Amino acid sequence: MTGTTREGGLAAPSRVAVTPRARLPRVLRSATLQGFVFTAPLLFLFAAFVLYPMVSGLYAATDPDSYRAIFGDPVFRQTVSNTIWYVVVAVNVKLVLALLLSGVLDYPFLSTRVLAALFLIPWAIPALPGILSFRWMLNSQWGIFNHLLTKLGLSSVPWLAQHDTALAFVIIFHIWKYLPFWTIIFLAGRRAIPSELYEAAAIDGGSLAQNFFSITFPLLKSLYLICTLLSMVFTLGDFTVPWLLTGGAPGDTTHVLATLAYRYTFAMGRLEWGLSTFAVALPITLLFIGMLMRWVKI
Amino acid sequence: MGQSRREFLKTTAIGAGAAGVVGFPAVARAQSGKLVVWWNKGYYPEEDIAMQKIVKEFEAKQKVEVDLSFTAQEDLLKKITAALIARRTPDVAFCFYNDWQVVPKYGWDDKLTDVSDVIKELKPRYNEKMLEVAYVWNNKTKKRAYYGVPIEAQTMHIHYWRDLLREAGMEDDPAKIPLKWDEYWGYWKKAQDVLRKKDPAKYGKLYGLGVTESTRASDTLYNFEMALLSFNGEILDKNGKIVADQPQNKKAIVDTLKWFGDIFTSGYVPPDATNWTDGDNNAGFHSRTLVMTPNPSQSIPAAQFFNKEDPEKKNYFDNMATIEWPDGPDGKKARYLSAVKTIIIPKDGKNQAKAKDFIKFVVEKDRFLEYIKAANGRWFPAFTDVAADPFWKEGHKGPKGQKDQHVPVATKIFLERDNKVFEHYKHPALSQVYDEFAYAKAISRIITDKWTADKAADEMIERMKAIFAQYK
Repeated sequence: MTGTTREGGLAAPSRVAVTPRARLPRVLRSATLQGFVFTAPLLFLFAAFVLYPMVSGLYAATDPDSYRAIFGDPVFRQTVSNTIWYVVVAVNVKLVLALLLSGVLDYPFLSTRVLAALFLIPWAIPALPGILSFRWMLNSQWGIFNHLLTKLGLSSVPWLAQHDTALAFVIIFHIWKYLPFWTIIFLAGRRAIPSELYEAAAIDGGSLAQNFFSITFPLLKSLYLICTLLSMVFTLGDFTVPWLLTGGAPGDTTHVLATLAYRYTFAMGRLEWGLSTFAVALPITLLFIGMLMRWVKI
Repeated sequence: MGQSRREFLKTTAIGAGAAGVVGFPAVARAQSGKLVVWWNKGYYPEEDIAMQKIVKEFEAKQKVEVDLSFTAQEDLLKKITAALIARRTPDVAFCFYNDWQVVPKYGWDDKLTDVSDVIKELKPRYNEKMLEVAYVWNNKTKKRAYYGVPIEAQTMHIHYWRDLLREAGMEDDPAKIPLKWDEYWGYWKKAQDVLRKKDPAKYGKLYGLGVTESTRASDTLYNFEMALLSFNGEILDKNGKIVADQPQNKKAIVDTLKWFGDIFTSGYVPPDATNWTDGDNNAGFHSRTLVMTPNPSQSIPAAQFFNKEDPEKKNYFDNMATIEWPDGPDGKKARYLSAVKTIIIPKDGKNQAKAKDFIKFVVEKDRFLEYIKAANGRWFPAFTDVAADPFWKEGHKGPKGQKDQHVPVATKIFLERDNKVFEHYKHPALSQVYDEFAYAKAISRIITDKWTADKAADEMIERMKAIFAQYK
């Protein structure tokens, strides 16, 4: 609304309209501050649950005595070896199988669709009952595996009571559990490959193997590498499967870095040792993450 | 509206810092008004109900609000450990693992309240043997004091199926089972042999000895230390100095390891015993795939007492029994170890005086008797007046007037046998030896890696010395 003059005439409109925003002090008009106000809840959560634990964890992991202690612990050396086996074997076997199986599930038949649905079950069920069932099946007294061996006239094997078989079953369970997820990822990748390429190859008389090595794999190569790196990061930090299946037994020989760090921290009350154990794996994890970010250009 | 990266980082850092400063103390302030009590979840609902009743009485009498929470023992230990490290603690904490994994370490680190005044007041009531467990070294004040209030204890028992022995045609009366070292262990081995031969289909996977030998179970520590005592070995001297490498003790350690290796490799212990958790020997026993099992509490008979599928309690009164650990190889009566469960008051707790009042209130004779009896004989009281209740000498009475074969055995061990508490109170490094399951690892060296007992003992002793050297 425009004001009136003493003489009753209409006042000339001001040159600049005074909006409510313009009436605010300069500091409150700052886009930065407004941005902060809107993001404050998220920033608080990020600071409380990501930044603070990370910084304090890294700070606590700088004590050289902790590294002397953990490197002096024979269990730690065995654990590093187990972790390498776990990550290298589990990730590679799982992804190679996933790549091959995604080819089977790519066939447009009803039976493969049913198979795909069944195949997803291990991934869909919660890890805990799956692992506990596995433990029972592997029991040397009443487990189904040994029952079958006995029926075949073979002697029982204490699967979880010897290092090699216990670690092997940790790897097997991991593959069983997570194979469906990666298979579906590769299946999506395969579906994105233009069918014309396969039609052209068929005209040229390309075999299944030639199709795979000349079309499928080259086009899935980037996806495969990204999946490998992602899976390595996940597997390196995997705690659930090794902890629930073996808990480090027998004789603390089947720990991986995640379970050992947990044992140091919560069973022994040595937080600094636990953090140092994680810190040992940190450069490798960061390397994987760095490669991944570079690859997908984040 | 564009914002430079520098501006964004600046505001983010300031905002996060401010939120942290304002937010965190608010949580602590919110807790300071009431008494925060973290209590170990009982094995039976009756235990929790009894504790809730005590808390209500305390609230009414003291006009104070109590925030009581129950947590299962494994989770509670982690919760207490995290709280002590982060210095955001409850006022009172009672966990079944406090005696072993909290009191020695955090007493040493000066993170627990000195409760010597409470102990002094309660001392006339105590079974003094059980008090030592909380008398630990504070490395800051450079002196010993009581950093916990012991309330109840467990010790080693051996449970066996009487009906399996009867089926094997062997004597099942506990009084008639031989107690000499070799004969005793041979008895269970014989039961396995006879039963497997008698009915291979039914008993082909039955084992005579349910002896836990795993790095996942505290039962292993108990089994090892009990066997070591039988072989007259000691790990620490009276001042908490490690003496495991002295010739007599080294020999006892080697003999103990050899014994564990022998019973396992001869096929009388289930192969999975090296991977068992504390519940697995219980499960194996309840499913009748073990003739006997050593267990450091009365949890097995107590579970049978509440077995809904056995309303007449035939298992508890007729089919199973509890028996003592055998005499040592030298013929001397067994010496026993007790784990004494202890309440702590963290030093960072906000209501120290109220916390002490609460503990004293909990352990008053009649109140505590009601609480501990709710555990059905699983624990033995640390107070002589509570232990004087006829329940501990007589136990339960069977529906047909049968005598209890379990609770009175534990009472006899506590009151009549040579009994000492675990020695981690002497030095927190022994707690770490336990945490690392150094004994189980040595056993595993023999069983899995086929080491000699000598070599495994050497490695174990070296590791123990390295652990002790870390405490300065």
